[in-house]
Amino acid sequence: MKLSARQICFFLAAVAPAGKLVLMPSVLAARAGNDLLFPVLAQIAVQAALVFAVLLLARDGRTVYAMIADMAGGLIARTACIVFAAFLLFASFVPLVEQKLLVQSLFYDTLPSYVAFAPFFLFSAFLCAKPLAALGRVWDVLALLFLTGFAGILLLSVGSADYGALAPVGNAGAERFGRGLAETTGWFYDAALLLPLAGKFEYKKGLAWKGALCSLLGGALILFFLATYYGIFQEIAVTQLFAFAHMSKYFSGITALGRIDYLFIFAIAFVMTFCAAMPVQAAADALTDAFGRTKPLAVSLSVLFNAALFAVMLVFNFAPSETIAAVTRRLFWIFPLFTAGAPLLLWTAVGIGRLIGRKTHAKK
Amino acid sequence: MKQVNANVDESAAALKKLLPADDILQFCFTDGTGRRMICLFADAVTDKDLLGEQVFRPLMQYTGGEKAKQVAAHVTAPEVRTERALEKLAAEVLAGNPVLVWEGMDEGLVVGTKKVPARAVTEPPTDVAIKGPREGFVEDVKLNTALVRKRLKTGELRIEFLTVGRRSQTSVALCWLDGTSVQSTVDEIRSKLSAIDIDAVPDSSYLARFLSGRPYSLVKQVGTTEKPDIFCAKIAEGRVGVLADGSPIALTLPYMLIEDFQSGEDYFVPAARATFTRFLRLFALLVAIYLPAFYIASQLFKLQLLPVKLLLTIAGSIRDIPLSPSLEMLLVLLVLEVLNEASIRMPKYVGMALSVVGALVLGETAVSAGFVSTPAIIIIAFSGIGLYAVPNLIEETSVLRLMMLLAAGSVGTYGIILLSAFVLIYLVSTENYGVPLAAPFAPFIRRDLRDALMKYNLISLKERSQTIGSPNKRRQK
Amino acid sequence: MRKNKFLHSLPLKLWLLLAAILVLTFFSNDFGLVDIQKTAIILAAGIDRTEEGFELTAQIAVPKGSDRTTGGTSSMEIGGQGATVSDCVSQIYAKTGWVPKFVFCDLILLGEDAARAGAFDALDFFLRNEYAPDSCLLAVCEGRAADILGAKSAVDDASSLALEKLFSDAAKKSGRVMTTTLREFAIGYYGVSASGSMPYVRMQPQQGAQGAQGGAGAQNGGQGSGQNEQEMIFSAEQTAIFTEGKMAGILDEAETLAFSLLGGNVYGGTLPAEGATLSVLRNDGSVTVSAEDGISAALNISLKVRLVNRSTPAAPSDVAKGAVTAEERAAAEKALEEAMRSLWTRCAETGCDLFFLYRELYRRSRADYGKWKDTPLSAFAVEISVSVEGLR
Repeated sequence: MKLSARQICFFLAAVAPAGKLVLMPSVLAARAGNDLLFPVLAQIAVQAALVFAVLLLARDGRTVYAMIADMAGGLIARTACIVFAAFLLFASFVPLVEQKLLVQSLFYDTLPSYVAFAPFFLFSAFLCAKPLAALGRVWDVLALLFLTGFAGILLLSVGSADYGALAPVGNAGAERFGRGLAETTGWFYDAALLLPLAGKFEYKKGLAWKGALCSLLGGALILFFLATYYGIFQEIAVTQLFAFAHMSKYFSGITALGRIDYLFIFAIAFVMTFCAAMPVQAAADALTDAFGRTKPLAVSLSVLFNAALFAVMLVFNFAPSETIAAVTRRLFWIFPLFTAGAPLLLWTAVGIGRLIGRKTHAKK
Repeated sequence: MKQVNANVDESAAALKKLLPADDILQFCFTDGTGRRMICLFADAVTDKDLLGEQVFRPLMQYTGGEKAKQVAAHVTAPEVRTERALEKLAAEVLAGNPVLVWEGMDEGLVVGTKKVPARAVTEPPTDVAIKGPREGFVEDVKLNTALVRKRLKTGELRIEFLTVGRRSQTSVALCWLDGTSVQSTVDEIRSKLSAIDIDAVPDSSYLARFLSGRPYSLVKQVGTTEKPDIFCAKIAEGRVGVLADGSPIALTLPYMLIEDFQSGEDYFVPAARATFTRFLRLFALLVAIYLPAFYIASQLFKLQLLPVKLLLTIAGSIRDIPLSPSLEMLLVLLVLEVLNEASIRMPKYVGMALSVVGALVLGETAVSAGFVSTPAIIIIAFSGIGLYAVPNLIEETSVLRLMMLLAAGSVGTYGIILLSAFVLIYLVSTENYGVPLAAPFAPFIRRDLRDALMKYNLISLKERSQTIGSPNKRRQK
Repeated sequence: MRKNKFLHSLPLKLWLLLAAILVLTFFSNDFGLVDIQKTAIILAAGIDRTEEGFELTAQIAVPKGSDRTTGGTSSMEIGGQGATVSDCVSQIYAKTGWVPKFVFCDLILLGEDAARAGAFDALDFFLRNEYAPDSCLLAVCEGRAADILGAKSAVDDASSLALEKLFSDAAKKSGRVMTTTLREFAIGYYGVSASGSMPYVRMQPQQGAQGAQGGAGAQNGGQGSGQNEQEMIFSAEQTAIFTEGKMAGILDEAETLAFSLLGGNVYGGTLPAEGATLSVLRNDGSVTVSAEDGISAALNISLKVRLVNRSTPAAPSDVAKGAVTAEERAAAEKALEEAMRSLWTRCAETGCDLFFLYRELYRRSRADYGKWKDTPLSAFAVEISVSVEGLR
């Protein structure tokens, strides 16, 4: 069963943004200071364009594997899928570490045992083994939850925000803008997540435009969040690692009612749990395309990937910040390489394929 | 298969051999020409007055031919047919329909003078309505079909009788509206019912297991109702209904989770009120599932979930409790479940005493003795009340509540979040007869949201549910 | 066939296994968890400077037990010493066996020495600790924080709760108290203005009352402050001002009121006017900076007031009107202008950019900020305007 166009739009507008609200705001504040909106604005614009390209690529209903296999044969297509899955597993590292840190901070008053985070991998394996239709329906629910949680948190927060703190514009300068841009690439790979879904959703007329627009809408939510976040925390924004969970507590009614904002915070944390598992799911999906879409393979891959990631997380258990820094500061270039490179490469290849096809047709 | 022959004694003996029970009686008489006739009938389930008036009296004066058609024409009972096979005739006797064999004829006559003891049509105890019809289904499938027919006086209403159960020979009525229900669903249900190979079907819940897409599912997958008005409304929506003899609970398929948040009464009250009550039901259900779990998580892992003054009150009340908060809550929950189970099964007059014992002895005394704390009892009581706001989901909700409690006691709030994520994936990936269980939320079907948690005014509900996929899309013009 | 059957029932088996693990972990019930019984719920923390470093006094809420039928909160104070605040916390844990949790800590009280030495030497711990809320209130006290927290309050069970009453929203609206939270103070400290304020708490014995008679079950007295028997009342009508994290001066009551009125947050607060008391019905206040013709600041207060009390009798018609006379308005304006001038002078003397003028300049124009950032406040031209309008 295919995903619907609506589900793709929901994912882009109201599910994918949740994954960008955990550590990215503080990383941005550290790099770009009060100009934190500009690197994100650039990222959002690029992502929207890439989403447009990926959705347009999926117009003819073929999967990425099928596209490559048609042009270059099965072996190259499989290799490409393996490499792409490897990238997605690499990309899953940041959200996983974020999830772990978030769990420690948000769900416990004292540092919990590592075992407390381990069930996440069971959940992730369960999600990865489910058919795509289930994933699309999950997005339907998550979009509603995210929007509710987001609206609730922002409603309680805007009163505490001093948006004047975003001034003076352009204070950060080109270098800090560049660093902000580079170090946030680890959070902007929505187009790469969509790529394994090519051929698995109904392409309706105008979906590419709608998808790009939804991506921009999701980006607008992120920008609004970031502006409020910086307006509230200003100079100490960099210390606020899980700002979405703290922003609303300054609302005056909270003192009287207790932390009612936790309802909204948990709603967003719930969506974030799914976001953290998304790259692993996409990796498993990319490989099942290449090696035959059977249930035992999907289950085996999901178990294998999650067990491996669990082991990796165990190894890096004691240095989460350093590992995130290593990915976002040193290996950031990998993200645009695949997120932008893969769709562009596919577009070129499809274009050449069509050109050759036309010439052959003309000769005949 | 053995058949009736011209020798009446042999035929009667063969039938009696198949039906050796003492309640199968045999009445021998002669007609106006002196031909011997033997009637076999089941004592308790046959209307003997009717049999005497409509069968014996006219036949005793009968002087016509010996062909079955001629004899049948002389019988004044409206439901008469012929049958040759002895086994089928025996089954008719067991169903309450007397069988008549006579000298010189190789066919038996089945007369429909069944008189099955049946309960009067009353208001179902599990589905009480303040506004709206009060009739409820009873255990007689014929009467139940009559209640349905009374509400859907259309030729499009199809009622197909099937027999399920090798020994119980339970009569099962498949009801649908031709042209409104999805034919493939009707066919699939029919084939599933026909394929059932089981000894006996004492209740429709047996059939529900066989009709479920995922028999081991945690969540029910077949809709149930005891009220003919709801049953008919669902059939009119395009669903297929199943009535089983011996059961007052009718099944409807395909089932969506949202159905149990809707009550028949919602359609008889203003839309705003219906919307409010539906949200209230959802809220109550969520409270029932999550409240004990969050209460535990807040004490063990995340104190901040509670306001400080409440936390201190709780801390004060649990200070001398020998059990850990999670074990205490589990114990109170189990006690509640036991009380619940016992009070349902007990006779009403003992049930009253049990309530006193449960409330006073177990509640008050346990608190006074320092065995459990007052907040724990309040939380479980609140959760217990919430559970009954959606009575059709009690089984599922109580299991989920227990699971949430275990997750909260082991992993804390994160456990609750993860388990909820599992449940969400499970729910959205469940389908029955091509209809997703969590529709119209997942998949999101905007048009059907008008009668999901929100309830639009009846006048604006012009179209049938898109989720069910009825070929007849318009409900009203 | 057998393999198929196994695969078919595999999910069920896995679910059962998961349920079994869940039950097992539920009953083992310990991943190093610190439940409510092992926790010290800290309501307030007091920090003082000592020769070795810091002394932390934690006011801990004590559950009253199930037999209590009266309300209120019992508390006790436990102290710890160390080179850092974190060391003090560890010492408290070592002493009591309770894990100190700051999640409910609503007040951090700094002793005067600690505030003068540098507030962020002490507050750094709270800013770094993700389990301590930065929404907690900050205050400086006269003398030692331990003495204030250890004192028996005349108005509440716990001294911290009595202090929090002083910092309520209602008190803030009266203009008598200027409250601040850790987040606000940290933003001011780390911002270009590097300034901030905290309410300044004083304590004095309640006249004619002894501690033994009152207080619903307070268990104060961990610190041996010598004031245990005497019920105390607290006041916070003065404000401590900070420059670069260090306490640089104290605003008196009139200056604190002027500061509040400049913020424009006062409603229902009162101000004196020569034998009369006026109540504020509307408060517009602003402090602006201009760098057009040299650097200058403009302090404006515009009030709409009504008479609430006069120390001389008046005719019933006059009482009913509540009108303010021109003399009273003039007196109020004069008093406020003096208070504002005094406030400005104190800020200029201490170098405390209480109104975040440098920040304003920075946000408006980086060039102007670069030009004037090293100009002290005392070199700013200042224009003060007050307008008090009475009910007609």
